[in-house]
Amino acid sequence: MTDVAALAESLHPHEVKVLNALEAAPRLEGVTEEVLAASAGLDVAQVGAALGRLQVKGLVSVLSEATKQIVSLTETGKQYVRQGSPMSRIIAALRSRGDTGNAASLTIKDLETREGLEAGELSTAIGELKKENVIRIASGGFVELTGTSSSSTAQSLQRLLETCRDGIHLLSEFNAAEQALIDRFSQKRGKSIEPFRIDERKERLYALTDAGRTVLQKLHTVSAEGISSGESGTPLAKPEILRGQLTPDILKDGSWRKEKFRKYTIGLKPARIPAGKKHPYREFLDLVKAKLVSMGFEEMRGGLVENEFWNMDALFMPQFHPARDIHDVYFVKDPQYSAPIPEALLARVRQTHERGWKTGSSGWGYAFDPLRTRRLVLRSQGTAVSARTLAANPKVPGKYFSIARCFRYDQVDATHASDFFQIEGIVLGVDINFRTLLGLLSLFAREVAQAQEIRFLPAYFPFTEPSVELHVRHRQLGWIELGGAGLFRPEVTQPLGVAVPVIAWGLGLDRMAMVALKIHDIRDLFTADLEMIRSKCVLY
Amino acid sequence: MPTISIHRKDLERLLGRRVTDKDVETWLPLVKGEVKEHDAATGEMRIELQDSNRPDLWCVEGIARQIRCKLNGRPGSYPYLSASKGRRDRVIVERGLESVRPFIGACKARGYRVTEEGLAQLIQTQEKLAEIFGRKRRTVSIGLYRLPPIAFPIHYGLADPEQTRFRPLGYNDRMSLREILEIHPKGLEYGALMAGHSRLPLLRDAKGQVLSFPPIINSRDIGEVQVGDSDLFIEVTGTDLRMVTLTVNLFAANLHDRGATIEPVDVLYPYKTAMGRTIRMPREFSRPRSIARAEVSAALGIELSTRELRACLLSYGYGVKTAGERPTVSLPAYRNDLMHPVDVIEDIAIARGYEAFPPVMPSTFTVGSLSRIEQLSDKARELMVGCGFQEIISNILSSRADLVDRMRLSAEQPESQVVEIENVLSLSGDSLRQWILPSLLRVEAGSGRSFYPHRLFEVGETAQPDPGADTGSRTEVRLGALLAHAEANFSEAHSFLDLLCFYLGKPYHLEPVAHPSFLDGRVGQIQCEGQPAGLIGELHPEVLERWQIGMPCSMFELALSALL
Repeated sequence: MTDVAALAESLHPHEVKVLNALEAAPRLEGVTEEVLAASAGLDVAQVGAALGRLQVKGLVSVLSEATKQIVSLTETGKQYVRQGSPMSRIIAALRSRGDTGNAASLTIKDLETREGLEAGELSTAIGELKKENVIRIASGGFVELTGTSSSSTAQSLQRLLETCRDGIHLLSEFNAAEQALIDRFSQKRGKSIEPFRIDERKERLYALTDAGRTVLQKLHTVSAEGISSGESGTPLAKPEILRGQLTPDILKDGSWRKEKFRKYTIGLKPARIPAGKKHPYREFLDLVKAKLVSMGFEEMRGGLVENEFWNMDALFMPQFHPARDIHDVYFVKDPQYSAPIPEALLARVRQTHERGWKTGSSGWGYAFDPLRTRRLVLRSQGTAVSARTLAANPKVPGKYFSIARCFRYDQVDATHASDFFQIEGIVLGVDINFRTLLGLLSLFAREVAQAQEIRFLPAYFPFTEPSVELHVRHRQLGWIELGGAGLFRPEVTQPLGVAVPVIAWGLGLDRMAMVALKIHDIRDLFTADLEMIRSKCVLY
Repeated sequence: MPTISIHRKDLERLLGRRVTDKDVETWLPLVKGEVKEHDAATGEMRIELQDSNRPDLWCVEGIARQIRCKLNGRPGSYPYLSASKGRRDRVIVERGLESVRPFIGACKARGYRVTEEGLAQLIQTQEKLAEIFGRKRRTVSIGLYRLPPIAFPIHYGLADPEQTRFRPLGYNDRMSLREILEIHPKGLEYGALMAGHSRLPLLRDAKGQVLSFPPIINSRDIGEVQVGDSDLFIEVTGTDLRMVTLTVNLFAANLHDRGATIEPVDVLYPYKTAMGRTIRMPREFSRPRSIARAEVSAALGIELSTRELRACLLSYGYGVKTAGERPTVSLPAYRNDLMHPVDVIEDIAIARGYEAFPPVMPSTFTVGSLSRIEQLSDKARELMVGCGFQEIISNILSSRADLVDRMRLSAEQPESQVVEIENVLSLSGDSLRQWILPSLLRVEAGSGRSFYPHRLFEVGETAQPDPGADTGSRTEVRLGALLAHAEANFSEAHSFLDLLCFYLGKPYHLEPVAHPSFLDGRVGQIQCEGQPAGLIGELHPEVLERWQIGMPCSMFELALSALL
């Protein structure tokens, strides 16, 4: 039996269809997977699998391979198609204001609230429009139409958005100016709220090899002979029967000795199997967790629903602090209030806020509202867990950490998730001071981020003084902020009954995780797309 | 945390020297600033300022001022603060304002010709201060005017909203105060601050011209500062006298730094204030404090000599009265953020530079450990992975529609009780999940194109409403597992549950129950030690339809917290 015959017999029906489709196609130019799929009546995935096997068998070759840039709309882009881009919306809002007989001017704040635009999107759009001299900023902070011309950027952008709404397009379909515009408004690292995404895709053109053509001929003859064999009366040589799977039966009765086993084409891509595995982001968090335990940190847990006392009051955040606003924290509907705070504790915290109590502080100097302390909120910062630990007779020396789910009242977008993990904790000890704080942060930089170069910058947190930000040089991202920390203010520790200095620290690891997972949108950390989760291979 | 826009040229003018990129990088830590964007062509920089207690730094003048202190090793001089006694122009406050918007402060700035850049900065500072520091103008709002048309004394009084008319910024026509509140964008935005008052604040000069309707809007005629103006009037109204004082001091310092001559203005009150009945602004108002050198050294972990300590304080802008072990220090007039000696200690560290503090490794020994629930969760997760399940992580903030309605839960079902949000931002996030299954269905619904079978699990937190709990709910860790493929059924789910409970060492039994999320007769309650600990079953086809899932699903969910 010749190689050709063996090969012909080894072909899967899909492979035969693909070979036929290739034969029908123009010989010199080659064909794409998509074209083959259409002419063979198969899925692109099936064609891909068949092509893979045919290449291993040497029947098909790649004629040419080119990298194409593919343009598609992001979630932001789809939203712009529906609602208009921020630029068009600003112009429309100003025009409609002018049409109602008023001066065609609005403040930036008006635009933000009326159009529900992100501050970032808005300032970029205003910047673009200013550059084009379509609007100007007048005194009083009013944005006005100059009335001289309309924005060609806004118009072209809207036209491109419309063009792309039906699916993916090749970047090369567009002219140079359009390409530049798409590139300017496409998602990149550090620029996640953009309407376009440009991906690179390899496009391969396939053609039959000489062997492929020979095998095809063989196939045609076999099928022709098959039809004619009855007439000619010449039976085909009986093909030798080869065994596929070894079975328990033939093992038991020893008949395997008489069998011939088919030789497999072992270079083929295997079938996928569903794996049991950890979520890639959780895998990352597990690693951090293990690091922290190895450094002597004890885990703390807290509740998703917290009262304002532990979420803010105990942290010396005044009740008028902007981060306590209805626009920054989620409030619980029912019940609205927690059980009362233990009286002595409440009194100490209240006096500290008002006049400083015995902490040596002047306090914030306002009338503290004890009822407000019981208002129930969704925990907005992991530090709430630390505050509870401080009040619960912690160990000295002691090190604690938590990986706590927190909630912020933010419009969900590529950089804001509705709930997210905060990794943070405390260190208590008589030897704690500013320099040991820096020492701890150096340790984190080395152990958690494997960073060699680090930098400390002054920072601000309402509950620590001094405060510091830890920046590290990441091998892909350059300098990034890895965490924030500080020494708790005495106004925090003393009312909770802690007499030693305490380090409060927090690590921001989402950006590192996103780079490791190759994603640009923070929502994808919690993606609902199983294919995406299955396809992530993460090497930390 | 405000982000402001400044120009390098402007910064250079205020510092009197050239500024390189390297300089910016070196100096910004002094003001807790970070460059967010930098346009090399125009020299525009967007800088984020972190310290919400330092509004003096939210402008290029303030940033330059802090840098100058460091370069010169001492604070700048502001002679108008110690100006001689004598008669000054006045603002006369009328009775009745004590219950509406009690405080006003003002000053004049002469001889600084407003440039385009200067005007942009003035407006930016005005906005950032009123929005963030002044809490959307509630506690502080600011008005800027051209000085020449104003006749002193100015009257700060209350006016009838219907009868009083003037031409507000942004409009060509005269409007009554009522119309401004109802039509003008600023009226719509800030009008709520004036709710409940029948007579509203109004600022008028000696000739009766309206300057503004604080805190809403200025007059277009006097209150529109333009490029080229060189004499200005600044007025600040508010509900907190110290914040009003600070804001006047801050604007005075900014304009002084740009070359203006500041002339203080006296405010005459018909009622008592913490600073008396006649208040001259700008003014010194910080309370001096003594700082112990020993306390500084202990907190910073470094021994500072009395000379070094004094040098650090001066180079960060502090006034230092007495020297020695316990110097008396005072904040400059444009700051009001000293509550505790630790605030000064941080400034000393910043003045010295964080890089000048060698890190010391923590040396005390502590034992690391995980909580019991985390240990149990990790064990369960490992078993599920071993069983061939893919782990999922989902948002806990979810929607009642997903958690209850799509699961066919009716109001009688105890599981239909969820922790709901009062200030809902989007309908997809109005409740905390009370079980994991809907999170897994969300993944299944979005993953039809991924090859089957699907075996998913999540171990995560849920919120269980509980009137007996301090916060009205308990946070419970639950394990949810979902099987989705053509032959997914109860027995398969049961096999996995059985295996899991065996290896967790938790004997269980199943109790038949009626549950609308599942096919009748194919659902059970998991009980451990006689207590309900979860559910197992085949999902009801109507639930699958509501999720638009085209594959049979079976599942189980186990409350890990209940197994501890």
